[in-house]
Amino acid sequence: MHSLWAMVRNTLSQAVRMKVALVVIVLLAVLLPLMSVVMEGDGTPLGKLQTFVSYGLGLVSLLLCILTIGISTYTLSYDLKRCHLFLVVTKPIRRYQIIAGKLIGILILDLVLLAVFGGIIYGLTLAIPKLVEVDSAQREHIQNEFFTARTGLKVTYDEAQLRKAAEERLKMLRESGQLPREMSQFEALRELLAQERMIAKSCPPGRSKRWDFEGVQISETNDPNARIFVRYKFEATTTLPDDTVYGTWRIGDFRQIETGQGRPKTPIYEVQRSDTIRTYHEFYVPADAVADDGFLSVAFFNNPTLNNTTIILDDVEVLYHSGTFTDNFIRSLVLIYVRLAFLAILGVSLTTWLSFPVAILVCLVAFLAGTANGFILDSFDGLGMTLGLIYNFTLRPLLWMLPQFDGVYNPSYYIINGRLIGAGFLAKTFFITVFIKGGLILLLGMWIFSRREISKAVV
Amino acid sequence: MDAGENTYAIETIGLTKIFPDWWGRAKVVAVDDLNLQVRYNEIYGFLGPNGSGKTTTLKMILNLLHPTRGKAFVLGGSCAEPEISARIGYLPEESYLYRYLTARETLDFYGRIFGLPREVRNERIETLLEMVGLAGMGNRPVGTFSKGMARRIGLAQALINDPDVLILDEPTSGMDPLGTRQIKDLLVELARRGKTILLCSHLLADVEDICDRIGILYGGKMQVEGPVRELLQHQDQIEIHTGRLSESTLEQIQDILRREDQDCDIQRPMDRLETFFVNIVNKALQEKQVTSGAGVGTGITGFLAERPVVRSQTLLDQLVSARVAPEEPARTEGSVTEKTQPKKTTPPVPQPDENLLSRLVSTKPEAEPKTAPTEPTPQKAAEPTEKVKKDLLESLIEHKHKSNGTTEVTRPDSSGDQPNA
Repeated sequence: MHSLWAMVRNTLSQAVRMKVALVVIVLLAVLLPLMSVVMEGDGTPLGKLQTFVSYGLGLVSLLLCILTIGISTYTLSYDLKRCHLFLVVTKPIRRYQIIAGKLIGILILDLVLLAVFGGIIYGLTLAIPKLVEVDSAQREHIQNEFFTARTGLKVTYDEAQLRKAAEERLKMLRESGQLPREMSQFEALRELLAQERMIAKSCPPGRSKRWDFEGVQISETNDPNARIFVRYKFEATTTLPDDTVYGTWRIGDFRQIETGQGRPKTPIYEVQRSDTIRTYHEFYVPADAVADDGFLSVAFFNNPTLNNTTIILDDVEVLYHSGTFTDNFIRSLVLIYVRLAFLAILGVSLTTWLSFPVAILVCLVAFLAGTANGFILDSFDGLGMTLGLIYNFTLRPLLWMLPQFDGVYNPSYYIINGRLIGAGFLAKTFFITVFIKGGLILLLGMWIFSRREISKAVV
Repeated sequence: MDAGENTYAIETIGLTKIFPDWWGRAKVVAVDDLNLQVRYNEIYGFLGPNGSGKTTTLKMILNLLHPTRGKAFVLGGSCAEPEISARIGYLPEESYLYRYLTARETLDFYGRIFGLPREVRNERIETLLEMVGLAGMGNRPVGTFSKGMARRIGLAQALINDPDVLILDEPTSGMDPLGTRQIKDLLVELARRGKTILLCSHLLADVEDICDRIGILYGGKMQVEGPVRELLQHQDQIEIHTGRLSESTLEQIQDILRREDQDCDIQRPMDRLETFFVNIVNKALQEKQVTSGAGVGTGITGFLAERPVVRSQTLLDQLVSARVAPEEPARTEGSVTEKTQPKKTTPPVPQPDENLLSRLVSTKPEAEPKTAPTEPTPQKAAEPTEKVKKDLLESLIEHKHKSNGTTEVTRPDSSGDQPNA
């Protein structure tokens, strides 16, 4: 153990004395306070906060990722190239301890830097509403949508049902000879499935669309100010004169009406809204709309007197408070730390057999691929039958080994929308990214390092 | 191999290293079927020209390179085992130290790897810094050190664990003569205190001064191996050192030798340049002249001097390392000197009266105390020359002549220098 900690200390000394670490520290120390003053967002206090936190976390994450890649690929390759390891491996230390020591050193440095700069962002975020002019409505808006941690329940569709419907339509088209000749069966099915998904989200004029949510766990049950938020985005099948959708929303436990229990135990709220298309909107109702068993229905009525087109409701979601901003902010930092840990493992492991330039290149590619991994995976999902089969057995496992830093793995997404990063999600992400993916890479690196020659052939 | 039963501190068996080309074909045979055996408590000089495979051999012994064939053992085991590497000190051909660490931090880092407690570590760091003459430079980054100073700190790191075996690759390269002398004295003292030292060097004079045995490597093969004195000693010549003698005495000696049908070359001895240089620098040091370079080491002190002399020789070791009288060449040749290449045999030449010479020097303790299994006595070790037994000398020259100086009878080595040990 003493050997391991000797390596940890040495790696920390090495990292701290690297100028790149100093540059990153100075950059962040200067840029973060500057950003808190300069950034305005959409001009509202909420916009300013969201922009600052989003860019702040993004910048800290980006620079620390680059620093981690730099140090992790440099430390071992430098020791190998400069033959420092001659004096280390000939001492009573196992080779895996050298790798582990280097890795732990980098992880400690990352932890300290992330805590320091995360702390700076957190402090500045709390200070911004006090430093800019904010009226009471804006303050309430900020409290409800930003300085909070809400759990979101998204509408999901029964994919099996949709596929079954698509297959039936395909069968019907084939039997009636209406299937286009140039279209393969696979392509036709894919197209029909997309249509079924669209139908499931659409609401024609004069019709209503209802979604039922279960397991809405309001933590502040006794708080009269507790709220339920409905978040959504509209699309229209035809062009609207003012790009605005007029509609009526009903939120509550509809089972009370259906079963005819008489006077409802929990209220059902009705909200009239007019919202622009292709933009996310939110409104809230008191949280007492939720039934005691956590059941809640949300319905949208497409008013035919005001709209004459089918409305597509994208990403309908019910949100409710379930944590504090501080807890959520710490979780967002943990999410950043997961990517730092993965990159540190990747960098150190790669340099057990690759030179510094090659290792840093591979790490940067992995980082960039991780940043767009969701997009890459989605784009490959559209491949045809044969190519899809090849992809599934070749590229897909490799892409799976890459980390995912985008989409739901992006901490800014949670913080700027006041969404709770679930503990389960966080634990799962940490486990899969660090322990499974990182662990496999690390084991491979240690295996190579324990068998390689430390010295080069010199005769 | 059982560490408790092993005869040699370092041993290689059929050690071979072949560097392949890109296609995996044998490109260079760096070391070829090498059987190296370094006994406990000896200083073994590992010599050879550039590219002869010395460093490759050391690296294989230390598990920095994997042998293509064969095995290497240190203290009966592999260097890959922490229990073995904990007893080894290694100084590579370059110091390879972390440039950003100070001298003190460097020693602290390696001390931590050995798991030395803080108090022990701090004590040893100070002792070693003193010993290698870097006491005032403990807080200077190693990157600012000259090559010689880096070698000193490199040597200090090799000693931080008080190792049983020291493997040193060019320990004095880049060092000034004063530092070289100090390091040589230090190594001799370490060997006296029970350490085994494998020394790889190009500086033949250094090796000759301090090594008990040497092996010469060429083309990855051991060409010759044996005790330094035996390999270098001229069996057909003797050398007599005396104090100042009068011309008449010299003529009488020459007359005697002419009657014995021997040539005689009489010269005034010269100091070695190293000795002369060291004397000048020591004088400057005594005058306390200012320097920003390395200071004077204190010699072996502290934890390295704490342990009594340990001689873990086997009976065989004692037999083969015992001083053998020149008139017993068969025993010496057969038991110690291993020649892997046939050597030219020289025709027998008339020998001087060896018995007489043996008796002449018999009052002095062995001139090679490193291999003696007893505690060295500083007074004897400090004596530069041997006291003469005057009556015997007088009987030799058949003339009574009073002499104020000292006389030493030795066989001349090829270099003509006195062994430091």
